[in-house]
Amino acid sequence: MDTPPEAAVDQTTRPWARAQVMLPVFIPLSLIGGLLPSFSLAANLYVLALGGGMVIAGMSSRLPRRAAPTRLLPGVAWWLLPIAIFVVVEVFTFGMGSTTAYPTLSLLADPVLDGYAARALAYFGWLCAFWALVRR
Amino acid sequence: MSVSRSLIIAGFLLSGLALAAVEWAARRPGSRIPTLGDVVALVMRYDLGGLPIGRLAILLFWFWLGWHFLAR
Repeated sequence: MDTPPEAAVDQTTRPWARAQVMLPVFIPLSLIGGLLPSFSLAANLYVLALGGGMVIAGMSSRLPRRAAPTRLLPGVAWWLLPIAIFVVVEVFTFGMGSTTAYPTLSLLADPVLDGYAARALAYFGWLCAFWALVRR
Repeated sequence: MSVSRSLIIAGFLLSGLALAAVEWAARRPGSRIPTLGDVVALVMRYDLGGLPIGRLAILLFWFWLGWHFLAR
């Protein structure tokens, strides 16, 4: 596994970019996000602000990035298994009109994400994964 | 709950379980399966004409996912 040039950025120059620093920041952001109901202007603006900031940070070359592999191991095809199962089920339910009898993942998630705890947790997971992508 | 709805939920659960299983297999010592993080990292390194298309695509996809589930 070779180290790409971007991974050579000195991690000590951005100590705040470490997960130990950023994850606690995401907790209050998630708790606030959980308060904002779906389809509201506030929720749209909030996601736009957080997501937009993450995309800008991710496209910036100023943040240190973790080393990435230059080529993948031969077993990469195994990843097609969960992807294929998901795509088949999602496309089928979408084709059936995403009804109560044939719900897409979005339709199944909506009632769960209506609850504050699940919504705040979803925000936290989304932000943590986003930060992991930014650092990749 | 209808049979079709139960089967659909089972399908989604199966895809989640398959994802967890492949990730678990990838993290075993000496595994020949890359982790999901490595696969995503390689996709993010894809450039086209100097433009980081892979990186932009992955970041925008995650942005859209958050908007789709949390804002709309």
